[in-house]
Amino acid sequence: MIDINPFESAKKKLDIAANVIDLDANTLKYLKKVERSLIVSIPVNMDDGSLQIFEGYIVHHSTLRGPGKGGLRYSPDVTLDEIQALAFLMTFKSSLLELPLGGSKGGVRVDKKKLSINELRKLTRRYTSEILPMIGEDINILAPDMNTGEQEMAWIMDTYSMNKGRPSPGVVTGKPIEIGGTVGRTEAPGTGMFYILETLCERQNFSLSSSKIAIQGFGKVGSVVAQILSSVGCKIIAITDSEGGIHSDKGLNINKLISWKQKGSTLKDYEGSNMKVITNEELLSTECNILITAATENQIFSRNADNVNCEILLEGANSPTTSQADEILNEKGITVIPDILANAGGLCVSYFEYIQDLHSYFWNLERVNREMKRILLKAFEAILNLSSKIDISYRTAAYVIGAERLSKAHELRGLFP
Amino acid sequence: MELNPFEVAKKQIDIVAKEMGLDPNITRYLKSIERALIVSVPIMMDDGSLQIFEGFRVQHSTIRGPGKGGIRFAPNVNLDEVSALATWMTWKCSLLKLPLGGAKGGVCVNPRELSNKELEKLTRRYTSEIINIIGPDIDIPAPDVNTNAQIMAWIMDTYSMNKGRAVPGVVTGKPIEIGGSVGRNSATGRGLYFVIEAMCEKLNIKLESQTIIVQGFGNVGGWIANLLYDRGCKILAVSDISSGIYYKEGLDIDKLLEWVRKGKYLKDYKDERYSLVSNKDLLITECDILIPAALENQITKENADEIKCKIVLEGANGPTTPEADKILFIKGIQVIPDILANSGGVCVSYFEYVQDIRAYFWDLERINKELKRIIIEAFEEVYKIHKSRDINLRTAAYIIAVQRIATAIKFRGIFP
Repeated sequence: MIDINPFESAKKKLDIAANVIDLDANTLKYLKKVERSLIVSIPVNMDDGSLQIFEGYIVHHSTLRGPGKGGLRYSPDVTLDEIQALAFLMTFKSSLLELPLGGSKGGVRVDKKKLSINELRKLTRRYTSEILPMIGEDINILAPDMNTGEQEMAWIMDTYSMNKGRPSPGVVTGKPIEIGGTVGRTEAPGTGMFYILETLCERQNFSLSSSKIAIQGFGKVGSVVAQILSSVGCKIIAITDSEGGIHSDKGLNINKLISWKQKGSTLKDYEGSNMKVITNEELLSTECNILITAATENQIFSRNADNVNCEILLEGANSPTTSQADEILNEKGITVIPDILANAGGLCVSYFEYIQDLHSYFWNLERVNREMKRILLKAFEAILNLSSKIDISYRTAAYVIGAERLSKAHELRGLFP
Repeated sequence: MELNPFEVAKKQIDIVAKEMGLDPNITRYLKSIERALIVSVPIMMDDGSLQIFEGFRVQHSTIRGPGKGGIRFAPNVNLDEVSALATWMTWKCSLLKLPLGGAKGGVCVNPRELSNKELEKLTRRYTSEIINIIGPDIDIPAPDVNTNAQIMAWIMDTYSMNKGRAVPGVVTGKPIEIGGSVGRNSATGRGLYFVIEAMCEKLNIKLESQTIIVQGFGNVGGWIANLLYDRGCKILAVSDISSGIYYKEGLDIDKLLEWVRKGKYLKDYKDERYSLVSNKDLLITECDILIPAALENQITKENADEIKCKIVLEGANGPTTPEADKILFIKGIQVIPDILANSGGVCVSYFEYVQDIRAYFWDLERINKELKRIIIEAFEEVYKIHKSRDINLRTAAYIIAVQRIATAIKFRGIFP
């Protein structure tokens, strides 16, 4: 990890894109600002009788194209800048996929591991109450992110619904299926990544099934994509969790590793033949065909980018590559599939959950995956066309497409009042 | 000297908490801001360019009622300043026993650089951006630095258009024609007057024979100077942003007020008996009552030792830093703290709000009578604690205000 202001670094990506297309200066200025950020105090009566006060955030970067959409993270080092950067990324992701949504993000500065379930519930409900005027089906729709999942989303939905006096499942996505969640959501980012990779390999005449793959991260994204890729015959030669992981040239048995992980054990403690324990740093420099970064932000940066040794880098996490690192990878000729496309399956199926909730009509897994594939591949197609037409990276192409659509919306809506 | 005003506000809570033995849980609660909204306010300027300003609305506490506090337009507005001002509003409302909490807003902009049209757009867009967290039962803004009745009217109009009905109670300090109150402009000055009058009675001194220096000559400074001048006091010096003006025999306040009402600066006023004095020197000129009615952090540890007066009457919010406060206390200078002294403004704002939500309006006599009743009741309470516990007036005022909030928190409990 390195210390850079995440919002500044996010805006740089837009600058690069704006340069390419000569984006209207007013629009650029507008998109580089955050529409609104709410900072709230969250007082919680702890089990030991003391009162603790946590700080929470909700940021709408843009609601130009629709209600804000973005995840909620619980982490002890959440900052306003980080939440703003993530909200910014969501705006471009929604725009790239042509979803009628804007970009937003929420966060609470808390170490979830230190809370009892009771405290966690109180924290989530109080946070929801505090941000109430900033969320809703037609305002802003939260979703799970780092350290939040179905249970937190269910509490948010319940608190919001009790406050409004009516069930409002559409206020949040990533809910359990029993209260308005959708099938296919948990696996969505991983499934989406597979669709993208499959298409890229077809385009580049690259045999996916015979490629060697290294994956950083073994959570909701990493484990799913690992499972799908190994099921189509790829060799997953290295994989890590937050404490490091394992490497084997012969390929790892992903299903066994998933059951190992489910027992609460860490990957580096897994024992098998022909394996060696590796650090996260070593994973990133593993020689492979495809490297998937599915852990957290700023993993590949100026000092380690040169060690990356793959042909394709697929960004499963949000912003795993810094701007400087991006340049280095480009020079090395590595194809980078940027986060805003690569992991957009999550957002896409979140959107499906939202519209299913609004319509009170639910789809089956086949429809969810089919529609996701259609949306993702359409966006990917646009990126491929643009990047071959004007010779820019996929990332810049993705930002250009997202920014152009936002610019058009900005122009059409005009400025209130 | 750069002091973070929110750190100052929190330090004050610590001092009071220690003095009164407050439950540390409550202390922690009071030192945090309930919510702070930061918004971008994009404006299409007259020249066709797009400018984006940063706006804030902070609610420090809504424990005792909807938030109440002004909106300022100034180029140095920032979140810490707005948070501190919101916190002070909590204490002020609590001290006066108003059923209101503390809030504040601001936009980081130099309004002098905007055309009237741009200023209107800025105000309307800012209102739209904060619309979800304001309202008669949520948070009621009011004028503050560089905002006025016209701007409040635009806020009221934007909010009302959005809701589809006239909502005068969303903001106070409006023009009388759309639900404003009589006596609001003079309220802060009049409150200062009631307080200093009561203080002089306690100290057994004649108000009319005191010499006065007022820093600031705007809505607050101008009014208190005027009221004291009418009472017969000698006003030795007043100041505006251009300069201070001094005359040891006492200035002619009527003429000076007429001058500044024409939009002119004090430094350009011609009277050969008068001399110009810098804001810095003005504060340390000898007098009986010094009234800082301009900005925050004017009396600091750098100049506190040189202050030569008997009483400091804080017309502005936070004009004295905590370090300076200690020095003044040691020197035996009575400081009548902002949260009591200048609370006439919020008090009549509250009356305006009450009149709006009941759709029934009072006359000036009733306004001034009720203002005096509320502010004197608070003064007596503060003075009593000050005497009985031998602490300065500020700490006494804080103890009362904080205690009332602490009790409210205990009763309400922590949701959920």
